[in-house]
Amino acid sequence: MKPITVTLIVNEQPRTITTEPNRTLLYALRDDLGLYGAKDACGGEGECGACTVILDGEPVNSCLVLAGQADGCHVETIEGLAAGGQLHPLQRAFVETGAVQCGFCTPGAILAAKALLDRLPDPTDDQIREALSGNLCRCTGYTKMIAAVRRAAEDMSHVR
Amino acid sequence: MSADTFTVGKTEIRKDAWDKVTGAAAYVDDVALPGMAVGMVVRSPHHHARIMQIDARAARDVPGVLAVVTAADVPGSKTFGPLAQDRPALAVDEVRHLGEPVAIVVAESKTAARRGVKVVAVEYEPLPAVFDPTAALEPGAPQVHPGGNVVTRYDVAGGDVEAGFAEADVVLEHVFEVPRIAPGYMEPEASTAEWNADGTLTVWVSSQKPFEDRHQIASVLGLPQDAVRVRSAVIGGAFGGKEDSGLAILAALAAWAVKGTVRLVNNRHESFLAHPKRHPARLFYKLGAKRDGTLVALQATVHMDTGAYSSYGPAVGGLLTEMVPGAYRIPHVRVETLVVYTNSPFSGAMRGFGSPQAHFATESLIDMLAGELGMDPLELRRKNVLRPGDRFFTGAPLDQTASSLPVILEHVAAARARLAAIPAPAGRVAGVGFALAVQSMGLGYRVPDDSTNRLEWAPDGTIRVYVGAPDLGQGLATAAEQIAAEALGIPYGDVRALAVDTALSPNGGVTCASCMTYVVGNSVMMAARQLIETLLAYAADKLSVPRAALAYRRGTVVLPSGETIPVAEFASRAADEDVPLRAEATFSFPYPEATTPKHLPVGMPHGMFVFGGQVARVEVDRDLGTVEVTDLVAIHDVGQAINRAGVEGQIEGGVATGIGYALYESVRLKDNGQWVDGFTEYLLPTAEDVPARIESVIVEVPEASGPHGVKGVGEITLVPTAPAITNAVCDATGVRVTAIPITSEAIARAADPA
Repeated sequence: MKPITVTLIVNEQPRTITTEPNRTLLYALRDDLGLYGAKDACGGEGECGACTVILDGEPVNSCLVLAGQADGCHVETIEGLAAGGQLHPLQRAFVETGAVQCGFCTPGAILAAKALLDRLPDPTDDQIREALSGNLCRCTGYTKMIAAVRRAAEDMSHVR
Repeated sequence: MSADTFTVGKTEIRKDAWDKVTGAAAYVDDVALPGMAVGMVVRSPHHHARIMQIDARAARDVPGVLAVVTAADVPGSKTFGPLAQDRPALAVDEVRHLGEPVAIVVAESKTAARRGVKVVAVEYEPLPAVFDPTAALEPGAPQVHPGGNVVTRYDVAGGDVEAGFAEADVVLEHVFEVPRIAPGYMEPEASTAEWNADGTLTVWVSSQKPFEDRHQIASVLGLPQDAVRVRSAVIGGAFGGKEDSGLAILAALAAWAVKGTVRLVNNRHESFLAHPKRHPARLFYKLGAKRDGTLVALQATVHMDTGAYSSYGPAVGGLLTEMVPGAYRIPHVRVETLVVYTNSPFSGAMRGFGSPQAHFATESLIDMLAGELGMDPLELRRKNVLRPGDRFFTGAPLDQTASSLPVILEHVAAARARLAAIPAPAGRVAGVGFALAVQSMGLGYRVPDDSTNRLEWAPDGTIRVYVGAPDLGQGLATAAEQIAAEALGIPYGDVRALAVDTALSPNGGVTCASCMTYVVGNSVMMAARQLIETLLAYAADKLSVPRAALAYRRGTVVLPSGETIPVAEFASRAADEDVPLRAEATFSFPYPEATTPKHLPVGMPHGMFVFGGQVARVEVDRDLGTVEVTDLVAIHDVGQAINRAGVEGQIEGGVATGIGYALYESVRLKDNGQWVDGFTEYLLPTAEDVPARIESVIVEVPEASGPHGVKGVGEITLVPTAPAITNAVCDATGVRVTAIPITSEAIARAADPA
């Protein structure tokens, strides 16, 4: 297989990599770009949401997207969320609400929630549950994650 | 929060949370070391087979492949195991379950490793296999190991069960079945091993027991203990399943083979097939009671499937045996538990450790008895619940901590009344059910159960806590930091726990058994007292005053004049002199000699217990056979909460796992001969499957021996959940489920028997 060259706009920075044509976006981020925030918890089957990133505004399982398919696209990862050293309200809410235990699902869950709040700034609890339903977590039982998203939505509404 | 503490009892923010929300937290698979190679495992495609030949020549010829390791290469002990050494690091002559490791391919890249794995030629001669523990006990069943299929047999009695049944007016006999479930932590097992130039190994693990890993790795590698250094990375959940050294041993073997650095990461399928799960079991119960509801006798025979290797199966069987009568006083009890080998993927430790299996049967049968007697199941429980001064059937005494049970029952009664008043929506029927639970803390009598931890003053006057047991994500480090801060009277922000490193940390024990806050907390408080003494002796020496002239108060040394000097002044000087101010202390789990019964097998009885009760409201769609848990009230006696949000997190997470046990999860053999081994078919509860309304009620009845009255909460939170749900389903539909997970077919069939 001949290597391919792909340019991803990762957290607003263009990054060009030469990689294998069957490389997924997840492993392009992890192995080619050294961005380890997106995790592989299900074996690359799109079942766990731990690898969630925001691709051109949409939350995706980055294990189900080939790096080549994302050529030229904007990719938001957890590493880009704290702008200028300031935590995003979702990150702060996850910390302060006790929504973080082992933390392995946390980056994916925060990005799924961010995609929700970008689209729907004042979601209902059911909408939050639905938005997080693709992000598996064994530690928290989701209760504090849902509360954190609700709290972040409130915090952000004060800013607007 | 008690009035006289300033950080204990408060919801402090865990210090690793910032790294975890920014993606900076480094789990094993997130650290790429220079020159690191990749290890991949060749696994058995058979449930049971003889290995006739392994030909690795083609694999070794694949470009980029550095080595292929098989059992023949293993330099030390070929087998290992936490209790019995019955499990080969790499299969020796025979494979006993699908997915068993046969060889490791070490390569420069994942691609090369994958190619290498494909061309390792293993010739197998399939052997007959058995997957059911009851079938494995039959004469003529396939033999999984040469010594027979029974790993351990317990037969424990209290009272005279025959006489008990003779007194009974009503006797119920039922069989219950519980599934094999996966711990389901999000981070699959991973380990990186580094062979050092001086012939030593450094192994990074995601493990509950780094010191035990060191022992197991050294044994298989044929190295002295001090040649192996085990370091704990950030751990992505464990739940008992990471009380297993298997993958760390393979990483160590791979690094030894290439004299380099190698990382091994299981994918989710490998995790399902080759890492411990909760034991499936078949439980044959017989319960006798008087007409007025007084329980008189309980007899149980339990067949527990430990799979191909014993792991912690014997210990799980012991605790299951102890937990059979649940939270009830029953004068005549006899429990026979058989821990049985099969060709299933092996089971071992998992949150609850035998207790969930026993409680599902017991709490179901108590409700069934209430139905038989025409009694309210709450009244039946009130009548029979354990009280302070009672003994378990093992003879283990219950002290005043059991006084939480009546309090829990009253919370249960109130929650049940409240949830029963919620009407069912159109097209659904609603029901409310509940269950009680008891869970032991600690490893059991005559099992070494010590925790050593160290405190050290850093030169800047802050405290480092060398917690000798890993934080699995549940918040042990935070609890240890809060307790240390409280003991030394310094801000929580000035205390930092370090990750376990066997070269630097004392041995804090295995993180397990609902007791870490209790044992680590006690040890930290002991160490804090010693640390103050060490400081004052040092300060007296430097100030040329008698030790007795000095006092310690909140991070300062107090002089006779009342003047205070910050500890940092002494700590920095001590560091310059290379005489660090540190103290460590060992806490041993207590078993009072006078009252602990001595006639039982090793590991029995347990000496300390926590109690809980959960009330579930379900809505059932009878046509579809679906069950939704809409409300759950979880009432748990924790002694004293050190960190309230942490305790709630344990409860909410435990409840979700209990919901999965009741409704969704089973690692079962499919018609095609393969196991359910991935999240496509193995359904973990999602954010949409947990109750919209969940309430944690924290009951605080302080434990006298606990730090600030602490007991434990890690495991019990999932124990009553499944029977509370099946009891609620029965309340809603009249369908009594005796096998979990509940299938929609079972409910739909009962709804429409035709």
